[in-house]
Amino acid sequence: MTRHPLWLLAALAPLAVAAPQDDDAALQLADDAPTVATAQRDWAAFAELALGDSQARSGDDPSGDARLSLDARLDRALALGWRLVLADRLDMRWLGGLDEQRSVNTLKEAYLGWQPAPEWLLDLGRINTRYGAGTGFNPTDFFKVGALRSVSSVEPSSLRENRLGVVMGRGQWLWRGGSLTAIYAPKLDNAPSDDPFSLDLGASNPRDRGLLVLGHAFSDAFNPQLLLYREAGEDLQAGLNWSALLGDATVAYLEWAGGRAPSLAGRAAGEDDRAFRAAFVTGVTWTAPSKLSLTLEYQRDNAAADAAQWKALQNGRPDAYWRYRALAGQRQALTTRESAMLYARWQDALVQRLDFSGFVRHDLVDASNATWLEARWRGEQADLALQWQYSAGDALSNHGGLPLRQRWQALVAHYF
Amino acid sequence: MRDVMFISFEGKAMQRHEHSGIRGWFSPFPLLPSLFPARPFPVRSTLAGLLLCIATSAFAAPDAQTILAASDAVRNPDKPFGLTTTLLEYRNGKQTDSTTLAVYSRAAPDSGQFRSLLRFLAPARDADKLMLKNGNDLWFYDPASKGTVRISPQQRLLGQAANGDVVTVNLAGDYNATLAGEEDITDGDRQPRHAWKLDLKARAPDVTYHRIEMWIDTANNRPVKSRFYAESGSLLKTAYYRRYQSQLGVARPTETVIIDGLDPNWVTVMRFSDYAWRDVPEAWLQRDYLPRFRPQ
Repeated sequence: MTRHPLWLLAALAPLAVAAPQDDDAALQLADDAPTVATAQRDWAAFAELALGDSQARSGDDPSGDARLSLDARLDRALALGWRLVLADRLDMRWLGGLDEQRSVNTLKEAYLGWQPAPEWLLDLGRINTRYGAGTGFNPTDFFKVGALRSVSSVEPSSLRENRLGVVMGRGQWLWRGGSLTAIYAPKLDNAPSDDPFSLDLGASNPRDRGLLVLGHAFSDAFNPQLLLYREAGEDLQAGLNWSALLGDATVAYLEWAGGRAPSLAGRAAGEDDRAFRAAFVTGVTWTAPSKLSLTLEYQRDNAAADAAQWKALQNGRPDAYWRYRALAGQRQALTTRESAMLYARWQDALVQRLDFSGFVRHDLVDASNATWLEARWRGEQADLALQWQYSAGDALSNHGGLPLRQRWQALVAHYF
Repeated sequence: MRDVMFISFEGKAMQRHEHSGIRGWFSPFPLLPSLFPARPFPVRSTLAGLLLCIATSAFAAPDAQTILAASDAVRNPDKPFGLTTTLLEYRNGKQTDSTTLAVYSRAAPDSGQFRSLLRFLAPARDADKLMLKNGNDLWFYDPASKGTVRISPQQRLLGQAANGDVVTVNLAGDYNATLAGEEDITDGDRQPRHAWKLDLKARAPDVTYHRIEMWIDTANNRPVKSRFYAESGSLLKTAYYRRYQSQLGVARPTETVIIDGLDPNWVTVMRFSDYAWRDVPEAWLQRDYLPRFRPQ
């Protein structure tokens, strides 16, 4: 039998009795815990005030700016099986002074839902429907094209939240472990609108579109989602989403979409260079016990410019270069053929309620980088956040070609 | 004495007498009483008595797995149900966070394991976010971004929701139990209890807790206390099940106090209220329904 020195036993003795004391203290806390009553609500709303300061690459820095955003969502049961969903966001911006103000209202959703049976759902109206397993690029998110009306942050989740829904009819049939969804979105207008309070049907519904989504969980590890998408004047596109668990802390995912389509440069130039082209994103998210989550993602879009095409665009006419970039932004597509992204989120970092998050996008064609970091403190009803955005690279590179080099933004959000 | 129906970890219906404890669950030798009728044995009393003692000690020895299943049934109703879970988090004696979740649960017909939909009610910034839990198959849905993403069990542990589904776990389905003995312990309400001590070992390697020690009241199969361990053997959590009240026809714990194993000053108080039978159709417990889910 191992003999322990007396001093070690003496040192360990308090530890041996510590647990019951801790348990008693914990139970006493529970005895004194207040009663919390939370009513179920069918609405949510928040207001966000942001102050920003930017540095231009040209050295001609713009003046500071301010933004006040009001965001609200209602999801109300009207009668048995019927629901009304409304979601709207108003962004009011001031550039330089109080007299230079511009507002943009985004009607994100407004639709009626009917569930005649537990397995059947029908919706009609403006709906923000989104597919895609990827974090920073979603080739199967077919309705993202033209959906951004007002950008308040380059953070991927912000780009998904603050966008126009599409006016559509949507039906879904459910069975155990799977479902089939059919969507039809008609053309309702020709061109996007700059009117601050426009419904902007020209941005959300510029042409007839249809989408079929089939999902089934064959097992926990194999639950693919298959998509078929068609829009007027274009060829059929197929899509796939799949994610799987690798151990206790890692999720791997794959998102793929492909079909005959023009290249991005072809679209920008008005040329029909239609061919089979695919885009995909694959990545892993790993979470540490310290509440740090890391996502590493590879993104590829064969419709985007490869190294030679990108070089040609950079060396070509400026208007063609900027038209190409504007189209890539409008379609939320990759600007160049391939990219990598590291996304990190550290919850309760250093102190409780303080979260750090950020990403680095690295363009694998021209080696430019975009970085975004945020420190956010979560209060009971309000958030305080400081954001920093920086783009680096050669002139006219993907990220180095952006007019702004750096941007700071401080914001406070209040949740009602 | 009232008979209560339960669903065992195998999904089969079993009956017991509510106050008779584990001995009332089943008799492995139903003809035993007729072999030893309740009348004196004047001639062969010594031999019969000896046999009776052997038989009683051999066959009345409780089966740990059955005790565990009975304890699961105390915590979990046998039909689809819903409840509200409020989690109050304390650090160093001060409340630092609170979360309220609406939980909708339904047991799988094959495994008996619960699948749960968790909807955040509070705090306001997280309102209407959803989590679907089917074993380690976990999906998170944010109504703002409309995104449904798979998350890992480790990611689930980031938030307080990690504790929110503890109430709907049928341990007997995932763990092999052995009886480690009987102990007199003090329960979460500071009352003395005589309890079975069970040692639970995970059947599959992909569970969060590889070993659990559990104390279950010998009188009524109520869980009293648990200790959850990691694969390394380190203590992850201690849980006290307390404030038993009649909910959906059975006395169930309406509060669980969880003490962090590494930092005993980190305490989470979970309160369960608004128990109700809920229709949770099978077809709703899938990724593609999360964007459409609306509470009843």
